[in-house]
Amino acid sequence: MSLFLTLKVALRALIRNKVRSILTMLGIIIGIAAVIAVVAVGQGATVMIQEQISSMGDNILMIFPGSASSGGLHFGAGTRSTLTPQDAEAIMNECLYVKAVSPMVRAGGQVIYQDKNWSTSVNGVSPSYLEVRNWELKEGAFFTDSEVKAASKVCVIGATVAKELFDTESPVEKTIRIRNMPFKIIGVLVKKGSAAFGQDQDDTIIAPWSSVSRFLQRGSFNSVNQLLVSATSIKTIELAKTDITSILRQRHKLSEGTDDDFSIIDTAEITKAITATATTMTMLLAIIASISLLVGGIGIMNIMLVSVTERTREIGLRMAVGARSKDILLQFLVEAMVLAGIGGVFGIIIGGSTAEIVARYNDWPVLVSAQSTVIAFLFSAAVGIFFGFFPAWRASRLNPIEALRYE
Amino acid sequence: MLITLNKITKTYQVGEIEIPALRGVSLSIDRGEFVAIMGASGSGKTTLMNIIGVLDQPTAGQYLLEDKEITGLSRNALAQIRNKKIGFVFQSFNLLPRTSALENVELPLFYNSGINGDSLSGRQKKQKALEMLKRLGLSDRAYHHPSQLSGGQQQRVAIARALINQPPIILADEPTGNLDTKSSQEIMAVFDQFNKEGITIILITHESDIAKYARRLIHIRDGQLL
Ligand SMILES: Nc1ncnc2c1ncn2[C@@H]1O[C@H](COP(=O)(O)OP(=O)(O)OP(=O)(O)O)[C@@H](O)[C@H]1O
Ligand SMILES: [Mg+2]
Repeated sequence: MSLFLTLKVALRALIRNKVRSILTMLGIIIGIAAVIAVVAVGQGATVMIQEQISSMGDNILMIFPGSASSGGLHFGAGTRSTLTPQDAEAIMNECLYVKAVSPMVRAGGQVIYQDKNWSTSVNGVSPSYLEVRNWELKEGAFFTDSEVKAASKVCVIGATVAKELFDTESPVEKTIRIRNMPFKIIGVLVKKGSAAFGQDQDDTIIAPWSSVSRFLQRGSFNSVNQLLVSATSIKTIELAKTDITSILRQRHKLSEGTDDDFSIIDTAEITKAITATATTMTMLLAIIASISLLVGGIGIMNIMLVSVTERTREIGLRMAVGARSKDILLQFLVEAMVLAGIGGVFGIIIGGSTAEIVARYNDWPVLVSAQSTVIAFLFSAAVGIFFGFFPAWRASRLNPIEALRYE
Repeated sequence: MLITLNKITKTYQVGEIEIPALRGVSLSIDRGEFVAIMGASGSGKTTLMNIIGVLDQPTAGQYLLEDKEITGLSRNALAQIRNKKIGFVFQSFNLLPRTSALENVELPLFYNSGINGDSLSGRQKKQKALEMLKRLGLSDRAYHHPSQLSGGQQQRVAIARALINQPPIILADEPTGNLDTKSSQEIMAVFDQFNKEGITIILITHESDIAKYARRLIHIRDGQLL
C-alpha cells in the first residue's frame, strides 16, 4: 500500500475516535511543550546572563586587595588596601597583554541638584576607564590625566542619574553636590542597561579617582579599592593574569612562599561558572520534562494496543485480501506517528509561546530556534515510532484466520 | 490442473488434545469448474477452504496451485497469492465498517503492486471499482456504508471486492448463510454468471438448493471426502 494511502487510512482511523485521539495527543503535547519551554527559557536565561556579564566587558580582570587563598576575600596585614594607582601604571607599562587599566575608588552618597536628590554610587577612576569598560559618552567629555593629577571636582554621570536629576535638561556644565561637595558635570555616559543580577550600570557617577579619594572617601590617599584591567582579547586573559601576578608580587615585595596580597578575578571565569550552572539546571529540568513525554509515549502505546485489538477482524480481512505483514505494520506505525507528530506540532506551538511569554516578561531573548523545533518534532515522531512499534508489530503477526474469526 | 490437493491433513492442537479436522484429503479442481462442498457442521469444510485459499497451512500433504508448490512459501508470498489468485466471500460479508462500498471494493487493489507491475493510478483504481459495482448492480450504492445496505447488497459488495483483482478462483464459505431465499438466488445467479466467464468457483453450503447451482458436488464427512 502506498505511503500516502496509509497516511489517509491512519488519519481516518484517528478522526473516527476523535476524543480518544485528542486525549492521547495531549500526553505528547504536554511532554513536548514542557521540554521546549524549559529548554528555551533555560537557554534564554543563560544568554541573558552572558550578555549582562559581557556588557561589563568580556575580557575584564578585576584585581582586589587581600588574598583569596582561603575562599572569599580576606585582608592581609592591617586593613589598609594594598593596591595603589602606581600599581595600575606599572601593569599598563609592563604587561603586554593589557589594553587599558584603571584604578577604582568607590564611594557612595546623596547627590543633590537644585531641589532634586538621588542616592547613587560614585566611582573614582582614571581616564582609561572608558576603554576598559568599553563604554562611550553620549555628550560632553571625559576628564583627563591633568584633572586626575589636580584632583579636580569634575564628574561624568550615568544615564539613570541624568534622568533622575535633570530629566530632559542637558546636565553638562551643571554643578551637582555629592555629599555636599560641588562637582561639575562634564559629560554623560550612554545607556548600558542592567548588568548580571539586575544591578543598574547606569546608576553611577564617574569622577577622577584622586578627587573621590580626597573629597568623598576617608581612606588614605594613595590606595584604591580595586584595579580594573582589560586584556587585549579573551584569549590573552590567562597570560595577562600570570604577568600581572608576577608584576604585583614584585612591586609588593612578596617573598617566595607567601600568599598574594591581592586577588584577580576575570569576567570570563564568572561567565563560565554561571553558564555551567545554568546549563546543568536546564538539563535537569529538561530531563524532568522528558519524563512527561515518556508518559505520553506510553499513552500512545496503550491506545494503539486497544486499537489493534478493536480492529482485529479488519486486520484479518486486510490480510485475506493480500495485505503483507509490513503493510499492516506500517499502517499502525503511521497511525502512532501521526498521533505523536500532531501532538508534537501542538506541543511545539504551546511550548514555544510559553517560552515567548516568559522571555518577554523577563526581558530575555527568545530562544525557540528552528533547530530545536525540528529536533522536538523529530523527537515526537521518534516517540511515536518507539511506542507504536510494539502494537503495530503485534498486529502484523496476527494469524489471518484467527483474526477473521475474532469476536 | 488449477488446484491439486494430495493427502492433505490438518490437525488442530487444543492444549493436550489433537483435533483432526482434515484426514488425508486428495482433490483436483480444474479451471472453470463450479464446485459445491457439502457436509455436516464440523466436518472440515471451512478448514479445507482456508487451506485452498492459503489462509492456513496443512499439517501434512501437498498443495499445488497452478502446478506450483504452495507449502513452504513465506508469509509475504502467500499474501501475494491471496491478493492475485483468490477472491474470498464470507458468510458474514466481512466488509470494513464505516467505509464506503467503493472503498471496500478498492481494498485488494491497494495491496496489489510491485510483482506484477500492476500499478494503477488512484483514479484508475476508483474507475475499476465503480465498474465492478456496476456489474453487480450497485452503481447507486457506491458511497453507502455497509450499515446502509441490505444483506444481499453487502454480499454483492463483498463479491465485487473478491473479483476486483480478476483472480482465477473465488472461494465462498456459505455465502448465502445469512440471506433470505430471494437474495440467495440473486447471489447464486451472480456466481453462475462469473463462472460462465471462466472463473473457478468453489462454494461451501449446507443447502441442496444452493448446491444445485454447482456443476460438481463434493461431500465431506469427518475430515474425509466421500
Ligand atoms: N482453530 C481451531 N482450533 C481447534 N479446532 C478447530 C479450529 N478450527 C476448527 N476446528 C475444529 O476442526 C473441525 C472442522 O472445523 P471446520 O470449521 O472446518 O468445520 P465446518 O465444516 O466448516 O463446520 P460449519 O459447517 O459448522 O462451519 C471441527 O471439529 C472444529 O471444532
Ligand atoms: Mg465452516
